[in-house]
Amino acid sequence: MILDFQMNSLTTVETLEKGLWRINQRSEDNLFSIEVTLEVKAPALDIRRAVLEVKRDTLGLMPDLSPLSEKLIGVRVGPGMTKIVRGVLGGPDGSDRAADLVLEAMEMLVNAITVPELRKAAAMGGVPYKAENDGPKVFLNDVVVGEDMVRKMAANPRLKDSCAAFRDL
Amino acid sequence: MLDYSRCKSIGVQKQGDNRRVVSGVLEDELYAMECEISVDWPSLTIESVQTRMKRFTTSRCPRAKEVFTRAEGWKIDSELDGKIKKELGRYGCRHMAVLMVDCCKTLARAELAREFRAALEEDPNLEARDFTEAFLQRHPDLKGYLQLR
Repeated sequence: MILDFQMNSLTTVETLEKGLWRINQRSEDNLFSIEVTLEVKAPALDIRRAVLEVKRDTLGLMPDLSPLSEKLIGVRVGPGMTKIVRGVLGGPDGSDRAADLVLEAMEMLVNAITVPELRKAAAMGGVPYKAENDGPKVFLNDVVVGEDMVRKMAANPRLKDSCAAFRDL
Repeated sequence: MLDYSRCKSIGVQKQGDNRRVVSGVLEDELYAMECEISVDWPSLTIESVQTRMKRFTTSRCPRAKEVFTRAEGWKIDSELDGKIKKELGRYGCRHMAVLMVDCCKTLARAELAREFRAALEEDPNLEARDFTEAFLQRHPDLKGYLQLR
Protein backbone atom coordinates (compact mmCIF):
# COMPACT_ATOMS: atom_id res chain seq x y z
CA MET A 1 0.00 0.00 0.00
CA ILE A 2 1.28 3.45 -0.89
CA LEU A 3 1.89 5.74 2.09
CA ASP A 4 0.16 9.09 2.07
CA PHE A 5 1.96 10.70 5.01
CA GLN A 6 5.45 10.34 6.44
CA MET A 7 7.38 11.62 9.42
CA ASN A 8 11.14 11.32 9.60
CA SER A 9 13.44 12.56 12.29
CA LEU A 10 17.14 12.38 12.89
CA THR A 11 18.80 13.43 16.13
CA THR A 12 22.57 13.51 16.47
CA VAL A 13 24.83 14.21 19.41
CA GLU A 14 28.43 15.20 18.74
CA THR A 15 31.33 16.27 20.92
CA LEU A 16 32.60 19.73 19.97
CA GLU A 17 35.31 19.70 22.62
CA LYS A 18 35.74 17.84 25.90
CA GLY A 19 32.57 18.44 27.93
CA LEU A 20 30.79 20.37 25.19
CA TRP A 21 28.18 18.69 23.01
CA ARG A 22 26.07 19.82 20.10
CA ILE A 23 22.69 18.15 19.67
CA ASN A 24 20.99 18.58 16.34
CA GLN A 25 17.51 17.41 15.59
CA ARG A 26 15.70 17.63 12.27
CA SER A 27 12.08 16.55 12.19
CA GLU A 28 10.03 16.57 9.03
CA ASP A 29 6.55 15.54 7.95
CA ASN A 30 4.25 16.49 5.08
CA LEU A 31 3.05 19.63 6.87
CA PHE A 32 5.91 20.73 9.06
CA SER A 33 9.69 20.81 9.27
CA ILE A 34 11.89 22.06 12.10
CA GLU A 35 15.54 21.98 13.09
CA VAL A 36 16.60 22.20 16.72
CA THR A 37 20.22 22.85 17.67
CA LEU A 38 21.40 22.86 21.27
CA GLU A 39 24.87 23.19 22.73
CA VAL A 40 25.24 21.76 26.21
CA LYS A 41 28.25 22.03 28.52
CA ALA A 42 29.47 19.86 31.39
CA PRO A 43 29.64 19.68 34.35
CA ALA A 44 26.23 21.27 34.92
CA LEU A 45 24.94 20.06 31.52
CA ASP A 46 23.40 23.48 30.97
CA ILE A 47 22.28 24.75 27.58
CA ARG A 48 24.71 27.38 26.25
CA ARG A 49 23.16 27.86 22.81
CA ALA A 50 19.71 27.10 21.45
CA VAL A 51 18.42 27.63 17.93
CA LEU A 52 14.95 26.55 16.80
CA GLU A 53 14.38 27.04 13.12
CA VAL A 54 11.03 26.26 11.49
CA LYS A 55 11.78 25.24 7.92
CA ARG A 56 8.21 24.64 6.74
CA ASP A 57 4.88 25.35 8.39
CA THR A 58 2.13 24.59 5.89
CA LEU A 59 -0.67 25.42 8.33
CA GLY A 60 1.01 28.66 9.45
CA LEU A 61 0.33 28.02 13.13
CA MET A 62 3.80 28.23 14.66
CA PRO A 63 4.74 31.33 16.66
CA ASP A 64 8.13 33.03 16.34
CA LEU A 65 10.39 30.75 18.35
CA SER A 66 13.48 33.01 18.48
CA PRO A 67 12.63 34.89 21.71
CA LEU A 68 11.47 31.68 23.37
CA SER A 69 14.60 29.73 22.41
CA GLU A 70 16.76 32.35 24.16
CA LYS A 71 15.00 31.44 27.39
CA LEU A 72 16.43 27.92 27.10
CA ILE A 73 19.92 29.23 27.86
CA GLY A 74 20.91 27.94 31.29
CA VAL A 75 18.33 25.13 31.44
CA ARG A 76 20.01 21.93 32.58
CA VAL A 77 19.74 18.45 31.12
CA GLY A 78 18.58 16.44 34.12
CA PRO A 79 15.74 16.00 36.61
CA GLY A 80 13.04 18.66 36.28
CA MET A 81 13.87 19.58 32.69
CA THR A 82 10.45 18.49 31.36
CA LYS A 83 8.55 20.98 33.49
CA ILE A 84 11.03 23.79 32.82
CA VAL A 85 11.18 23.34 29.04
CA ARG A 86 7.39 23.02 28.73
CA GLY A 87 7.06 26.15 30.85
CA VAL A 88 9.53 28.10 28.74
CA LEU A 89 8.51 26.96 25.27
CA GLY A 90 4.99 25.57 25.57
CA GLY A 91 1.60 26.97 26.46
CA PRO A 92 -0.90 29.07 24.49
CA ASP A 93 1.68 31.64 23.34
CA GLY A 94 4.42 29.11 22.71
CA SER A 95 4.80 25.77 20.98
CA ASP A 96 4.18 22.49 22.80
CA ARG A 97 5.44 20.71 19.73
CA ALA A 98 8.78 22.52 19.81
CA ALA A 99 9.01 21.93 23.57
CA ASP A 100 8.67 18.17 23.07
CA LEU A 101 11.30 18.18 20.32
CA VAL A 102 13.74 20.10 22.52
CA LEU A 103 13.11 17.61 25.34
CA GLU A 104 13.76 14.73 22.98
CA ALA A 105 17.02 16.36 21.90
CA MET A 106 18.04 16.76 25.56
CA GLU A 107 17.11 13.13 26.22
CA MET A 108 19.49 12.06 23.43
CA LEU A 109 22.39 13.61 25.31
CA VAL A 110 21.46 11.43 28.29
CA ASN A 111 21.47 8.41 25.98
CA ALA A 112 24.82 9.44 24.51
CA ILE A 113 26.35 9.69 27.97
CA THR A 114 24.84 6.30 28.87
CA VAL A 115 26.36 4.44 25.91
CA PRO A 116 29.89 4.12 27.39
CA GLU A 117 28.38 2.81 30.64
CA LEU A 118 26.37 0.19 28.78
CA ARG A 119 29.43 -0.75 26.73
CA LYS A 120 31.29 -1.34 30.00
CA ALA A 121 28.37 -3.35 31.38
CA ALA A 122 28.30 -5.47 28.22
CA ALA A 123 32.08 -5.98 28.34
CA MET A 124 32.07 -6.95 32.03
CA GLY A 125 28.74 -8.74 32.29
CA GLY A 126 27.80 -9.64 28.73
CA VAL A 127 26.40 -13.09 28.00
CA PRO A 128 25.93 -14.91 24.71
CA TYR A 129 22.31 -14.65 23.68
CA LYS A 130 19.83 -15.92 21.13
CA ALA A 131 16.38 -14.32 21.11
CA GLU A 132 13.36 -16.19 19.77
CA ASN A 133 12.36 -13.26 17.57
CA ASP A 134 15.90 -12.78 16.24
CA GLY A 135 17.38 -14.49 13.19
CA PRO A 136 16.86 -17.09 11.78
CA LYS A 137 19.85 -16.27 9.55
CA VAL A 138 21.24 -13.01 10.95
CA PHE A 139 21.20 -12.35 14.69
CA LEU A 140 21.25 -8.76 15.89
CA ASN A 141 21.69 -9.67 19.58
CA ASP A 142 24.67 -12.00 19.90
CA VAL A 143 25.61 -10.62 23.33
CA VAL A 144 23.40 -8.80 25.84
CA VAL A 145 23.96 -7.49 29.36
CA GLY A 146 23.42 -10.55 31.56
CA GLU A 147 21.25 -11.05 34.62
CA ASP A 148 23.97 -10.37 37.22
CA MET A 149 24.92 -7.04 35.66
CA VAL A 150 21.25 -6.09 35.20
CA ARG A 151 20.76 -6.64 38.95
CA LYS A 152 23.76 -4.41 39.68
CA MET A 153 22.41 -1.72 37.35
CA ALA A 154 18.96 -1.93 38.95
CA ALA A 155 20.58 -0.88 42.23
CA ASN A 156 20.73 2.59 40.68
CA PRO A 157 17.53 4.25 41.96
CA ARG A 158 17.05 6.02 38.61
CA LEU A 159 16.83 2.67 36.83
CA LYS A 160 14.91 0.67 39.43
CA ASP A 161 11.38 -0.08 38.13
CA SER A 162 11.97 2.21 35.13
CA CYS A 163 11.12 -0.46 32.53
CA ALA A 164 10.64 -4.19 31.98
CA ALA A 165 14.41 -4.77 32.28
CA PHE A 166 14.61 -3.40 35.82
CA ARG A 167 11.28 -4.41 37.32
CA ASP A 168 10.93 -7.24 39.83
CA LEU A 169 14.53 -6.86 40.97
CA MET B 1 33.08 13.02 16.40
CA LEU B 2 29.51 11.74 16.45
CA ASP B 3 28.55 10.27 19.82
CA TYR B 4 24.97 9.27 19.25
CA SER B 5 22.38 9.17 16.53
CA ARG B 6 18.67 8.31 16.55
CA CYS B 7 16.59 7.93 13.45
CA LYS B 8 12.81 7.51 13.43
CA SER B 9 10.75 6.89 10.35
CA ILE B 10 6.99 6.61 10.37
CA GLY B 11 4.52 6.08 7.55
CA VAL B 12 0.73 6.21 7.46
CA GLN B 13 -1.64 4.54 5.06
CA LYS B 14 -5.40 4.64 4.59
CA GLN B 15 -6.94 1.19 4.25
CA GLY B 16 -10.51 1.73 3.12
CA ASP B 17 -12.85 4.24 4.71
CA ASN B 18 -12.63 2.98 8.28
CA ARG B 19 -9.07 1.84 8.90
CA ARG B 20 -5.78 3.70 9.21
CA VAL B 21 -2.46 1.90 9.64
CA VAL B 22 0.77 3.41 10.87
CA SER B 23 4.18 1.74 10.91
CA GLY B 24 7.28 3.10 12.57
CA VAL B 25 10.90 2.18 13.08
CA LEU B 26 13.37 3.57 15.60
CA GLU B 27 17.08 2.94 15.34
CA ASP B 28 19.88 4.31 17.48
CA GLU B 29 23.15 3.13 19.03
CA LEU B 30 21.36 1.24 21.79
CA TYR B 31 18.08 0.07 20.31
CA ALA B 32 16.26 -0.92 17.18
CA MET B 33 12.52 -1.49 17.22
CA GLU B 34 9.42 -1.53 15.07
CA CYS B 35 5.81 -0.77 15.77
CA GLU B 36 2.66 -1.22 13.70
CA ILE B 37 -0.74 0.05 14.80
CA SER B 38 -4.14 -0.14 13.15
CA VAL B 39 -6.82 2.35 14.16
CA ASP B 40 -10.55 2.37 13.49
CA TRP B 41 -11.63 5.64 11.90
CA PRO B 42 -13.55 7.77 12.83
CA SER B 43 -13.95 6.22 16.30
CA LEU B 44 -10.17 6.75 16.75
CA THR B 45 -9.90 3.42 18.56
CA ILE B 46 -6.66 1.44 18.45
CA GLU B 47 -7.60 -1.97 17.04
CA SER B 48 -4.27 -3.81 16.94
CA VAL B 49 -0.68 -3.27 18.02
CA GLN B 50 2.28 -5.26 16.73
CA THR B 51 5.79 -4.61 17.98
CA ARG B 52 9.22 -6.05 17.50
CA MET B 53 12.17 -5.38 19.77
CA LYS B 54 14.86 -5.91 17.17
CA ARG B 55 18.05 -4.90 18.95
CA PHE B 56 18.31 -4.23 22.65
CA THR B 57 20.68 -4.13 25.60
CA THR B 58 19.62 -6.66 28.23
CA SER B 59 18.19 -10.18 28.19
CA ARG B 60 15.11 -8.78 29.93
CA CYS B 61 14.18 -6.21 27.25
CA PRO B 62 12.08 -8.65 25.14
CA ARG B 63 9.72 -9.02 28.13
CA ALA B 64 8.50 -5.53 27.33
CA LYS B 65 6.70 -6.85 24.25
CA GLU B 66 3.94 -8.39 26.39
CA VAL B 67 2.90 -4.96 27.60
CA PHE B 68 2.30 -3.06 24.35
CA THR B 69 -0.93 -4.81 23.30
CA ARG B 70 -2.57 -3.22 26.37
CA ALA B 71 -3.10 -0.23 24.08
CA GLU B 72 -5.66 -2.17 22.02
CA GLY B 73 -9.03 -0.56 22.69
CA TRP B 74 -7.52 2.77 23.76
CA LYS B 75 -8.74 5.91 22.04
CA ILE B 76 -6.64 8.57 20.38
CA ASP B 77 -7.34 11.63 22.50
CA SER B 78 -5.54 14.09 24.75
CA GLU B 79 -4.96 11.38 27.41
CA LEU B 80 -3.19 8.97 25.08
CA ASP B 81 0.42 10.23 25.29
CA GLY B 82 0.39 10.09 29.09
CA LYS B 83 -1.15 6.61 29.13
CA ILE B 84 1.40 5.24 26.67
CA LYS B 85 4.32 6.75 28.59
CA LYS B 86 3.09 5.70 32.03
CA GLU B 87 1.45 2.36 31.37
CA LEU B 88 3.50 1.06 28.46
CA GLY B 89 6.79 2.91 28.92
CA ARG B 90 7.25 2.17 32.59
CA TYR B 91 6.06 -1.43 32.51
CA GLY B 92 7.46 -2.17 29.07
CA CYS B 93 10.04 -0.05 27.28
CA ARG B 94 10.17 3.73 27.26
CA HIS B 95 11.92 3.80 23.89
CA MET B 96 9.08 1.83 22.31
CA ALA B 97 6.65 4.14 24.12
CA VAL B 98 8.30 7.14 22.41
CA LEU B 99 7.88 5.42 19.04
CA MET B 100 4.22 4.57 19.76
CA VAL B 101 3.46 8.15 20.80
CA ASP B 102 4.99 9.42 17.56
CA CYS B 103 3.13 6.80 15.49
CA CYS B 104 -0.28 7.74 16.92
CA LYS B 105 0.42 11.46 16.59
CA THR B 106 1.57 11.02 12.99
CA LEU B 107 -1.52 8.97 12.16
CA ALA B 108 -3.78 11.78 13.40
CA ARG B 109 -1.79 14.48 11.58
CA ALA B 110 -2.01 12.38 8.41
CA GLU B 111 -5.79 12.58 8.59
CA LEU B 112 -5.65 16.35 8.77
CA ALA B 113 -3.18 16.49 5.87
CA ARG B 114 -5.32 14.12 3.78
CA GLU B 115 -8.48 16.18 4.32
CA PHE B 116 -6.57 19.42 3.74
CA ARG B 117 -5.22 18.12 0.43
CA ALA B 118 -8.73 17.14 -0.68
CA ALA B 119 -10.17 20.50 0.43
CA LEU B 120 -7.50 22.39 -1.50
CA GLU B 121 -8.48 20.55 -4.66
CA GLU B 122 -12.02 21.86 -4.22
CA ASP B 123 -10.92 25.36 -3.20
CA PRO B 124 -7.29 26.30 -4.02
CA ASN B 125 -7.73 29.57 -2.10
CA LEU B 126 -8.72 27.85 1.15
CA GLU B 127 -7.00 29.38 4.19
CA ALA B 128 -5.07 26.74 6.16
CA ARG B 129 -6.12 28.26 9.49
CA ASP B 130 -9.81 28.21 8.55
CA PHE B 131 -9.51 24.62 7.42
CA THR B 132 -7.72 23.59 10.63
CA GLU B 133 -10.39 25.22 12.77
CA ALA B 134 -13.15 23.42 10.87
CA PHE B 135 -11.23 20.10 11.07
CA LEU B 136 -10.91 20.36 14.84
CA GLN B 137 -14.62 21.15 15.13
CA ARG B 138 -15.37 17.97 13.19
CA HIS B 139 -12.90 15.95 15.33
CA PRO B 140 -13.09 17.48 18.83
CA ASP B 141 -11.15 14.58 20.40
CA LEU B 142 -8.10 15.64 18.38
CA LYS B 143 -8.16 19.25 19.54
CA GLY B 144 -5.97 18.70 22.58
CA TYR B 145 -4.02 15.93 20.90
CA LEU B 146 -2.71 16.97 17.49
CA GLN B 147 -0.18 19.47 18.85
CA LEU B 148 -0.06 21.45 15.62
CA ARG B 149 1.90 24.27 17.22
